[in-house]
Amino acid sequence: MSENASNQLYGLVCSFSKTADVLHAAEKVRDAGFKRWDVYTPFPIHGMDAAMGLTRSRVPVLTLLGGVTGFCTGMLFTWYMNAYDYPLIVGGKPLWSPIFPFPVMYECTILFAAFGTFFGQFLLNRLPRHHHPVFNYEKFVQASDDTFMIVIDATDPQFELEKTRGFLSEIGGAEVAEIQN
Amino acid sequence: MSKTNDCSVDASGGCDCFRKAPLWLGVGIVGLAVAYVGAFVFGVPQHDYRPLYSLLLGTAFWASVLVGCLMMTMITRIFDAGWAPIIRRQWENLIVALPVVLSLGLLPLVFFPPARKLVWEWTNPEHVLPNGHEVGHDTVLALKSWWLQVPFFQGRIVLYIVIFSALVFFLRRWSFAQDKDGSAAHTGRLAVVSAAGIILGALTLTFLAFDTLMALTYHWFSTMFGVWFFAASMRACFAFTAVLCLALATRGWLKGLYNQAHRHVLGCLLLAFTVFWAYISFSQYFLIYNANIPEETFWYNIREFSSALVDGEWVNVKNQWWWVSLALIFGHFFFPFLFLLFYRSKVVPGRLLFIALWTLAFTALDFYFNIVPRQITDAAFPEGFYVNKFLDVSMLFDAAAFLGMGGIVLGLFLRNASKQEIIPIHDPRIQESIHYHE
Repeated sequence: MSENASNQLYGLVCSFSKTADVLHAAEKVRDAGFKRWDVYTPFPIHGMDAAMGLTRSRVPVLTLLGGVTGFCTGMLFTWYMNAYDYPLIVGGKPLWSPIFPFPVMYECTILFAAFGTFFGQFLLNRLPRHHHPVFNYEKFVQASDDTFMIVIDATDPQFELEKTRGFLSEIGGAEVAEIQN
Repeated sequence: MSKTNDCSVDASGGCDCFRKAPLWLGVGIVGLAVAYVGAFVFGVPQHDYRPLYSLLLGTAFWASVLVGCLMMTMITRIFDAGWAPIIRRQWENLIVALPVVLSLGLLPLVFFPPARKLVWEWTNPEHVLPNGHEVGHDTVLALKSWWLQVPFFQGRIVLYIVIFSALVFFLRRWSFAQDKDGSAAHTGRLAVVSAAGIILGALTLTFLAFDTLMALTYHWFSTMFGVWFFAASMRACFAFTAVLCLALATRGWLKGLYNQAHRHVLGCLLLAFTVFWAYISFSQYFLIYNANIPEETFWYNIREFSSALVDGEWVNVKNQWWWVSLALIFGHFFFPFLFLLFYRSKVVPGRLLFIALWTLAFTALDFYFNIVPRQITDAAFPEGFYVNKFLDVSMLFDAAAFLGMGGIVLGLFLRNASKQEIIPIHDPRIQESIHYHE
């Protein structure tokens, strides 16, 4: 495989026509130790996450970080405005306490947690992405109709064109084809 | 994450645990007997209200667990929740105990005048208030007397029990009828009962909380109080259900049926209502704090400080209820909230069990906070009263009442469960419920 060819090649695709087949094939790809690969299906398949060996999303961590940041921001800016920059007594309450500005702190927590979630999933999903090499494969439209596909990325450390091609047929994949970048 | 059943797959119908029904009923009877002795042998003759509160605490706690179960039975019906059927059957067997708990706990207090007068001061015209006036001449009571009058009060308590009994009766009747004839029409019928029942149940639990708990301090009022009781009930329900289902999955009839996804649902709902409880409790405090009107603030004041003589001068010092308040903020909100945020806390059986038991313990503390603090009239104090303490020897009777009512609830649950199918075998959603996944 020449340097040039490997730059051109995005990966290998194969098709399945039955849900159970693609699920078991995914388990075999996972067990074979591939890291950079994906399954494309017209509808969600229960158990696919486990079959692919996917762990839980890391987005909640960013949500939590966003929430904590928001809570502290709310605290800081009610303190800054009400007790420091322009000290003002309202309704006989202290200049600052955690009680009366709580709605502000609470709303900031929610806002920032939502930011953490929204931008966190953008980040972790590597969005925005306007094009994907799989669209170069003519038959890929079938993956939104009646065909299941497994695509193994050429950048996967275990990827070797001929060997992987053989592996995909072995696990039951039909129409093994190359996808160009 | 689909096939994550931790338990073995063979679900056996018969169960050893049914035989424990008489044991739990025995615990219940003994516990209640001790609580009654406290109330009517130590409390009433000595004009001490505190042992009577034990009965009220035990009743309020278990009624809240069961009210939550009743509401969830109806809510899952109306939303046609796919995960619910196998757990709802346990609720259906639990809620029979609701009218029993309310009758055993409230009727003796409501219909026995010496007890009633000690518990609900407004029913005792001779009771002297901290301001020196007698209840009979209290203008605040006069203005509220269209609602707060004894026969009407007694009638209302009976009415609440009747309404709950009717809901329990119909929700169980057609659910069990479906086990026999397999007709899906029962599901539609139960949705209709639930649609009306949710409104009826919400009003009943609100007024039950007003009449039995809020009226303990009848000068005070909060429109949040009914919602607080609902929030506390839902938390208690989910925590208790999590403990019960885990027990039933380990050595009962839910072995192989109750899976990780069910735990996840209960954990998520427990988290949601942890937040809801905090939102309601804080909102009530926040509005009263901001408005700063003495008619309302005194309720929180007695839960924060008491008058004490320090170096010959009367000053306000933090009392035991202040520590109870802090325990509620940090132990009943912050800790469970942060703990339940993590996915594994909701699905790992031991962790969910831990936080469920924790929540139940703090729910009990929440009832102490809302029920027990009281202004005891005493002219020796500058404001004319002192505040009773959280720690009290009557806590022994409290324990008996909690245990007694709990024994009755579990005993009735096991006895009822042994007479019905362990899961609703002909529920249209039963397959979905058994194979429920995240």
